[in-house]
Amino acid sequence: MLEKKKDYHAWLYLIIPLVLLSIFTFFPLIKTIIISFDNGYNKWQDAFSFRFSFDSYIAIFQYPPFLQTLKNTLLIVFISVPLSTVLALLIAVGLNSIKPFQKVFQTVFFLPYVTNSIAIGMVFAVLFNLHTGLVNGVLEIFGIDKINWINRNDGFFQGSYFRKMFVLQAYILWDALAFKILVFIGGLQNISKQYYDAAKIDSTPKKRVLMRITVPLLSPLIAYIMITSFIGAFKTYDSVVGIFGNNWEMTKDIQTVVGFVYQMLRADSINSYSYGAAAAVVLFLIILLFTGINLWVSKKRVHY
Amino acid sequence: MNTELEIKKQNTSRILLKILTYTFLTIMAIVIIIPFYWMVITSLKSATEVELFPPTLFPKEFVFYNYIEALERANLIRYFINTMIVSISSTILGTFFSIFMAYALSRLNFKGRELIFTLLLATMMIPGEMMVITNYITVSNFGWVDAGQGSRVANGPYYAMIVPFLISIFHVYLLRQTFKQVPNELYYAAKVDGTSDWKYLWRVMVPLAKPSIITIIILKLMGAWNSYVWPNLVASENYRLITNGLRAAFSNSDTGRTEFHLQMAATVMVTLPLLIVFIIFRKYIMRGVSRSGIKG
Amino acid sequence: MEDIKNVQQKGISIKLENLTKIFYDKKGGKDTKAVDRFDVVIPSGKLVGLLGPSGCGKSTTLFMIAGLLEPTEGKIFFGDEDVTKLSPEKRGIGLVFQNYALYPHLTVRQNIMFPLENLKIPKEEATKMTEQMAALVGIAELLDRKPAQLSGGQQQRVAIARALVKKPRVLLLDEPLSNLDARLRLQTREEIKRIQKETGITTIFVTHDQEEAMSISDEIVVMNFGVEQQKGYPQDVYDQPKNLFVAKFLGTPPIGVFNGYTKGSDLFIGEEKILSDEKLKDHQGEVQVGIRPEGYIANTKGSFEVPYTFIESVGRDISLVSSHPECNAASFRIILADKTVITPQTMKFDIRKDKCYVFNKQTGERVL
Repeated sequence: MLEKKKDYHAWLYLIIPLVLLSIFTFFPLIKTIIISFDNGYNKWQDAFSFRFSFDSYIAIFQYPPFLQTLKNTLLIVFISVPLSTVLALLIAVGLNSIKPFQKVFQTVFFLPYVTNSIAIGMVFAVLFNLHTGLVNGVLEIFGIDKINWINRNDGFFQGSYFRKMFVLQAYILWDALAFKILVFIGGLQNISKQYYDAAKIDSTPKKRVLMRITVPLLSPLIAYIMITSFIGAFKTYDSVVGIFGNNWEMTKDIQTVVGFVYQMLRADSINSYSYGAAAAVVLFLIILLFTGINLWVSKKRVHY
Repeated sequence: MNTELEIKKQNTSRILLKILTYTFLTIMAIVIIIPFYWMVITSLKSATEVELFPPTLFPKEFVFYNYIEALERANLIRYFINTMIVSISSTILGTFFSIFMAYALSRLNFKGRELIFTLLLATMMIPGEMMVITNYITVSNFGWVDAGQGSRVANGPYYAMIVPFLISIFHVYLLRQTFKQVPNELYYAAKVDGTSDWKYLWRVMVPLAKPSIITIIILKLMGAWNSYVWPNLVASENYRLITNGLRAAFSNSDTGRTEFHLQMAATVMVTLPLLIVFIIFRKYIMRGVSRSGIKG
Repeated sequence: MEDIKNVQQKGISIKLENLTKIFYDKKGGKDTKAVDRFDVVIPSGKLVGLLGPSGCGKSTTLFMIAGLLEPTEGKIFFGDEDVTKLSPEKRGIGLVFQNYALYPHLTVRQNIMFPLENLKIPKEEATKMTEQMAALVGIAELLDRKPAQLSGGQQQRVAIARALVKKPRVLLLDEPLSNLDARLRLQTREEIKRIQKETGITTIFVTHDQEEAMSISDEIVVMNFGVEQQKGYPQDVYDQPKNLFVAKFLGTPPIGVFNGYTKGSDLFIGEEKILSDEKLKDHQGEVQVGIRPEGYIANTKGSFEVPYTFIESVGRDISLVSSHPECNAASFRIILADKTVITPQTMKFDIRKDKCYVFNKQTGERVL
């Protein structure tokens, strides 16, 4: 009686959410894809030209600024994600092994999570400022000259892509630790203490305990973190704007693919939306690809 | 074996490890804290002191006036109000909708339930950037966008910032999992007592799922508070959110120099509310985050 | 570490001196004294059962011997060495946990080889030792499976193999049989006995099942409230319990306990005189009397009259389930070998003196 499937009033609960989702999630999904294949899409009039072509895709892959953003994004993904995962794991293991001050440390490590990416990005900009930043101030103590980390070319002090990328990576790393540390701590606490007791009786050296017991038992969680982190890293945008601002002309060497998409929303050309849509689709496909690879790797190396 | 010697060796290595661990953690903690510390002391330095090099590690004197000046300069109060309006509305409405959806998907039986759920799961994977362009078009067509000359629809930008993001599939998923943990027997017993689905939702499900709901509320609030991109697109001046005003407001376009002390004061004011929420609701936030990991 | 490898196959004696463990309640509640001045010597090469009810401190004692818990007071000696402050990995022990604690992500073979790898034993030798040990405990064909694919009994044998493969001088087992079903229990306890005899390692196992302890131990130590109650050969402890607790704890079916009193050298339960002994003259007044179920001799002119509720036949013996106004429990049992002597409803018995124990009413100490 309770299981009859003709229960229509359930739809009452769903009607508004579904309508909203349709307008702002399902419909846009399709329309964006269509726009990406329609190079003549007129954004001022929201009018399709109904000419199917790959032009937008070809164009962006020949457009150096887009390729630059692609490169930046890939660098961010492949450097910050593994680094932050390993570091977070070490910190979590360290945290788990101490009792006094554990809560204090935990709170400190979690602070970056509740903060605004843009806001703290600006703080980093202040820290690395050429003329007044703390970092250069510390270097001064060691007799090293000021370094132009993130600012525009300033006479003697030339800017450098490498240094900008360095600061960006440092910030992203700083920001990414909190979430991972928390998840890992949760996972570590779920591992039965008996395994560690047994390992003690087996005279296991500490490093071996970490690599042969803790990590394998934590591997499902590590896989989860890596997958979600990869996906998140591909979508980086706020971090860049926080440090460098959102003026496209001045920051295009360090922007990400998402930055390119948003720039296409503001650009002058009539068909810029089509390029933006194409970039968004490309991003989606890359994410799909890497998630697939990640899942495949997980199947082989994760112990359940 | 020489037991005495072994005991000494083991004690030393144990102490060494502890020292190493604490040192490592402390160094990491300091690295995490430095930006916060720098943010606060910069916000309290005077305009001249902020320009010093090497920078001072502690303000010579506390210039609290920076905060007032920042508020005035950047119209921050307006921005705060906007942010409050947007975050509170979207949190309340969004939470209600999440509850409705999760309830329907977990407890109620109807044709197409599985189909809808699978559809939702699939869309969870898709990056928001795929939807942005069209959403911008849609929202402009509705007349909600303010590109500088005001919007066609009164208070349009508020709608633009709230409505598209009311439904978070991730939150619906989390809540559905929580609802599913409520035993079926409770529902059957309630039905036998003649309870309507609506009553059951509010009298049984929601109270039992309180921790998860609180977590979702807090996550939603945080998300709205920290959002930047979309508000930047659809709102201008009067409707701006706090994240938007920060950068430009304190840069002097002539000299290209930014007034860091004011900018940092504004940043502190932007960061502080969430920090306070964090301190009060720390348990819920941390528990919600780590639980999402175990589900994954 | 090298020393452990070279130590002879035969086990080592263990001496626990004044061992005490107090768990301090950090939140301001009551501290728990889990083990109280425990003093015992475990002879080398013997299988010793540490027996007691739940919460009596036996597992705590075991973990202190293992080094996983630090004693609050007292010392632990392995042979002549004071190992009290030595960490577990240096004590040369093998421990079989109640839940086996097998590494779930490693195969059986990898589980057993794990301690050998830690001791830096070369791979070839380690493989040989693993296979020998697997054969010894009887799991040779399971070496490439993972723990989740094994039954409880098999998992336990793997745990034993892992504990023994590094040739420890002491083997510790925490409630080894409690997770197994009844049939497997009999089989496994024989296995444990056999393995212990073949390897000659000093073995201590902890259990709350007195039948288990009685059946395979060379010696048992009975514990309650963190204090040693009695120790000795199982049969001796059974026949000569030092106090009421030990008498009640050992024996299936359990001993029947009655309120009694002494007058002169006579022992009375109710109105009936049960037996006489000179020693009773020193303990006048109310006492507790324990009578083993096998201590009743049917006699139509017997001294003790007992109404019984029903007859329980166990195949081998007959037991009468009886009640008595002076009995401390609602019922007690009498075991008879011969059912022809049974008369309906009520019977009279003589009490065998060697199966009857008299205890001080306040302290529970045995008086006779």
